[in-house]
Parts: sequence; structure tokens; C-alpha cells
Amino acid sequence: MFEFFSRATAPPKPKIIHPNAGLRRREGIIGFLFISPWLLGYVLLKLIPILTALWYSLTNFKMLEPDNIQFIGLANYLYFLTDLTAWYSLAGSLGYFLTTVPVELLAALALAAVFTSARLRGKNILRPLIFMPSIFSIGLIMSVALGLINPQNGWLNLLIMQPLGLPPVAPGASSHYFLLALLSIWSIGPGFLIMVGAMQGIPKELHEAARVDGAGPLTRLLKITLPIISPAIFFSLVINLTSAFGGSMLLDRSYIFSESLSPMEAYIASTMFSNLNVGYASALTWVMFSVTMTITIIIFRTAQRWVYFPEDGGHESI
Amino acid sequence: MNLFKRRKNLGESRLTTLLWQFTGSAILNLVIFLLLAVYLSPLAYIVVNTVKTPKQLSDSSAPLYPAINPEYKYNGIDYPVLSVPTANGVKEWAIITKRRTYAEFIDPQNPSAGLIHWDGNWYGLKKVYRPSLSWEGFANLRDNLSYFYSRTLNTLMIALISEIGVLLSSIAVAYGFSRFRIPGGKWLFLLLISTILIPDIITLIPTYMTYLKLIKWLNTTSVPLPFSVPWGWVPLIAPYFFSSAAFVFLLRQNFKSIPRDLDEAAMLDGAGPLRILTSVILPQSIPVVATVALLHFFYIWNELRNASLYINLSPNARPPISFLSSVSDALGISPDAAAAVLLVSAVPVVVLFLFQRFFMQDMVVTGLEK
Repeated sequence: MFEFFSRATAPPKPKIIHPNAGLRRREGIIGFLFISPWLLGYVLLKLIPILTALWYSLTNFKMLEPDNIQFIGLANYLYFLTDLTAWYSLAGSLGYFLTTVPVELLAALALAAVFTSARLRGKNILRPLIFMPSIFSIGLIMSVALGLINPQNGWLNLLIMQPLGLPPVAPGASSHYFLLALLSIWSIGPGFLIMVGAMQGIPKELHEAARVDGAGPLTRLLKITLPIISPAIFFSLVINLTSAFGGSMLLDRSYIFSESLSPMEAYIASTMFSNLNVGYASALTWVMFSVTMTITIIIFRTAQRWVYFPEDGGHESI
Repeated sequence: MNLFKRRKNLGESRLTTLLWQFTGSAILNLVIFLLLAVYLSPLAYIVVNTVKTPKQLSDSSAPLYPAINPEYKYNGIDYPVLSVPTANGVKEWAIITKRRTYAEFIDPQNPSAGLIHWDGNWYGLKKVYRPSLSWEGFANLRDNLSYFYSRTLNTLMIALISEIGVLLSSIAVAYGFSRFRIPGGKWLFLLLISTILIPDIITLIPTYMTYLKLIKWLNTTSVPLPFSVPWGWVPLIAPYFFSSAAFVFLLRQNFKSIPRDLDEAAMLDGAGPLRILTSVILPQSIPVVATVALLHFFYIWNELRNASLYINLSPNARPPISFLSSVSDALGISPDAAAAVLLVSAVPVVVLFLFQRFFMQDMVVTGLEK
């Protein structure tokens, strides 16, 4: 994917009319055949549903009255502007994103940095143990987390708060944040592996050369390690971003919609399945879609500045 | 003395460096070990809960370790044993009569003494707990084994069918993106990556409505196929036959690192694109394919959201199409059994995960070529 970005700075290639244009066309057709499952899935499972949601959002579609659908224009969106709950939910979802993503990224990065140290023993045992919580089901994690913060006999209260003389953890907001923390720390598996892989891929000579030139550990980290692994950081950012918005990639961290940790998602689900108001729920999904796409575009745009995309080595890019 | 001094002088610098290195390594390893212990400690909660009795789980004053509150049978009824402060020290008596200002106890050691009158409010007294393991949760699980078994089978079936779908389609798509010059290929690939970032809920409403309509229109609870497939399975399996963007990305990274010379050699030998995929690309990509297969299996095994959502689509078919992930909700069992279910359901995944070779090595996403 990264060649895409490097193209922006590369000089335009001179146009060459290939003598074997027919062959190229054939290659293109075969390629299309191979990617056709995705193209078909994209149209059927993403494009059409998203556009259908846009249509629903402009109507007063109620699930109980499927025969009485009327076009009501932007009324759903206007209602959203005055719906405080929706705004709070949206802010909550953004807060969720801003809380979990940096925690996951930094924890994975720090662990990966320690892991590349030659002094650490037993890496073959440590690595699976660090990854292991990432393959636990969300049911298990929820049950553990809720048990830990139980106000009566939660372990957090009995083992940490009481002995230290701190006030007990009350249910509500603080427990929500505890769940977030546990989820994000117990989900660092893929990000951690990706970063370890990236750091191990850095040629040793680079570090040696920098050391000879008098660069300290911090300089080496900032000037060599981070730039080289920036694609891996970018990729884990994308993964974490996805899960923060309630998507799921590589890991399943999505609890049932009604109890989703992302408040906007829970609000949409309750509008849809409890109030059965399909039209307004669709409008809300479009609001959420615009927000996530805006964040995505910002991240992809800035990626050109901070992600290191090397020249395509040797083989031709598509 | 002299000898010692000479040796010290000779090796001093090396020795101190070694010592420093050793201390540094020891501290590093210790810190990481402690961090790991803290990181995994919440897991102890569920493990301990599986060997607690339901009574202990519902008692907020119970200790953290698995224990039971001894009871004393008096006139055919079980009474809990409390620790009672008396003039002769703390006694462990079973409480028989509870009143506001006094209580009557019986001493299990000396029942012939009859009821003992005790003044004070019994409410502040603590129950006696003795360490003891209870296997009730697992016994409960064993008694519901048929229930558990059918769910496990369903989950495995879904995992297997969708695994085939996701592997076939993702490999094909990744191959298409890595080896063919497709007009607009870069843009299409960017589009593919951006689909990763579309939250599930955006497409959920129309998708859900479509499945509802289809069921109504077909007027049946199972898909009209030669073999019986409940409707609830279709939304859980079908999407995976259109490839998964994240897996395509991982596979493509790997396919691109395989030298093209190999393809060209095969092409000169008369191999077509499909032949090149099966006999050049795939044999070289076994680790990454295994990684993807495992990731998908973990994913489906733990999947809860869609399974719980679409189970309701075909209410008549409810028992056979519930899934392992929702087992603890649906079983409606005591909390200790739920803990046992959750723990047992995690075992296959953990075993599979620990006993494979590929998974850890092949999530490499750098710009640097291998």
C-alpha cells in the first residue's frame, strides 16, 4: 500500500507505448478476475449498504411500518443537531478513540523496544504470553473486568484500593475506564508482533554506523528505529483506529451492540433495535461514517509526512 | 592475598563490565517478569471463580480464595456457621435464631449443650470460611455437555466453512493485487485498505433489513439448499467468501516479497496464472497463510456480536444455531458454571496458539524488503 504514497513525490514516469499492449490488457483482465471476489463484495457488502443507509436516512422508515415510508428530506439530520444524547455519544466515542489508541500504540512500542534487546531472556516464552490475552473472547474479558471492579467484592477494591486506603472504585464512569484500559492493554498482541517484526528487520549495520558516528541511544531511537518502523506504526494505528470505531480487524473486540464500549455505536443500536427507528439510526450511522472517514483521511494524508516509504526495491510495483 | 590482588588487577575492567552487564540484564528481566505477572493477573480471577461455590460467589463478604462456609444441620435445617466473639474468645457457632438484640447459637462441636444465648446484633458477625475447592461449576458443565457440544460443533462448522471461503478469496485477491498490472490497481488497493476502516455499524442496518426481507420473502427458516442450513448462518458465513481486507493486505505483503524470477521461470515452462499461484506462490507462503487461517479461526471462535444479532433471524431454529461465544449468556447457569464455560472455551484457542510455529514470525509490515 505504501508505494501509493511515494508516488506523490516521485517524478512522473515518461509514457511509453508498449509494443505488447494486447498482452498487458490480458494481464489486466486476469488480474481483475482474481480481485473480482473483493470487488463484488465491496459493491454488495459495503457500497450498496452505505448508499441504502443514506436513502433510509432521508426517510421516516420505522421498522414496524415498513409499508409507510416517506421521503422527509434532511429532517433526521436536523433532529440530530438538536439531539444532545447523540452529541454526547459521539464525543464519548471520540474520547474512546483518543484514550485507547495512544495507550495501545505506546505500550506495544515500548514492549517491542525491550524485546529487541539482546539481554532479555526467554523471549520464546514471553512472546506467546504477551499475545495470549489478545485471543481471549470478549465474553471472558468482560467477565474478568466486571468481576475486578465489582463494588462489593471486586479484586481491585479488596487487593489494591483498600490496603492503600483509597476510596473504593464505584460503578459507572470509572469502571468504564477500567474496562477500556483492560481491553486496550489486553489487545496489544497484533500491534506488538508487528512492531517486534519491524524492529528485528532493521539492519544491524545502521545502528553500528550511527554508534560509530557518536549517536546516543535516544538519537538512534528517534533517527533510525522510529523512521524505519514507521510503516508498522502506521499499520497498527489503522488496526487500533478500526477497533476504536467498533470495527474489528485481526481481533474480535466487539461486544454486542447494546453494550458496546463505543457510546455512539450503542446509541445507534438502541435507536435501531429498541426504538425501531431505522431512518434516524441510518442518519446517525452516516454522521458516524463522515466522522470516521474524516479522521481516516487526515491520518492517511499526514502519513505522507511521517511514514517512511522506501523506494520499491527491485521488483515492479503494481 | 597477593595472587588474588594480581588477578583482580588483571581482570578488573572486564569483571566490572561483566558485573554491570549481568546486573542490567537481571534487572531488565525481573522488571519484564513482574510486568508480565501484573499483565496476566486478572486471568486468575476467572480461574479462581471456576472452583468457587455459587454461594461464595454471591456472598460479598466471602474471601478471595475458594472456600466454603461450613453449615450445621439442626432439626433437619442447615444453619451457617459464624465466628462469634464471646467472653471465652472467638467461637465458631451455627446461628439458629436471629433477633434484633440477641441471637441463639449452637456449638457444632458440642451440640448436646443446646442453644446458647448471645446478646448483641448478629448482623455484624462474619461467616466462617474454610479453604476448599468446589468442582460444581465443572460438574454443571458436564451435566450440560450435550448443550455445550452442539454449540461447539456449530461454532466449528461456521469456522470451517468461512475459513475455506476467506482463504480462497483472500489468496486470490492478494495474488491479483501483487502480480498483475491492473488499470487503477493502486487506487483499488487504497479503496480496499479504506474498507478496513468502515465501522460495522455503518453497513449493519441495510444488511440486517435485507436479510429480514429475504427470510420473509422466502418464507422459510432454512436456506433452500440440498442440505439444511439455518438462515442465521448465512450472514455469518457469506461475507467471508468475498475476502477480508486485512488478510489481503498481509498476504499481499508476503506475495510481493517472493522474487518474480520464479514466476517467470514457471511461465516459460508453460504455467498459467493459476498454476503459478498454486505451485510457486503458495508453497513459499505457507507461514503467512497459516497465520491468516489461525487469525480467522480465533476471530470466529470468539465472534459474539453478529452471532448474537442474527440468531434471532430464524427463531424456530434457535437451539441448533446458537454459538459458543454466547454460551454463557444463553445457558442461564450459575456464575461458577459460566466461569467454567468461559475458561473451557478459551482452552482450544490457547492450545492451538501455543503449539504452532508460524504465527509469531509472520506479521511483518515494513517498507524494507526482506
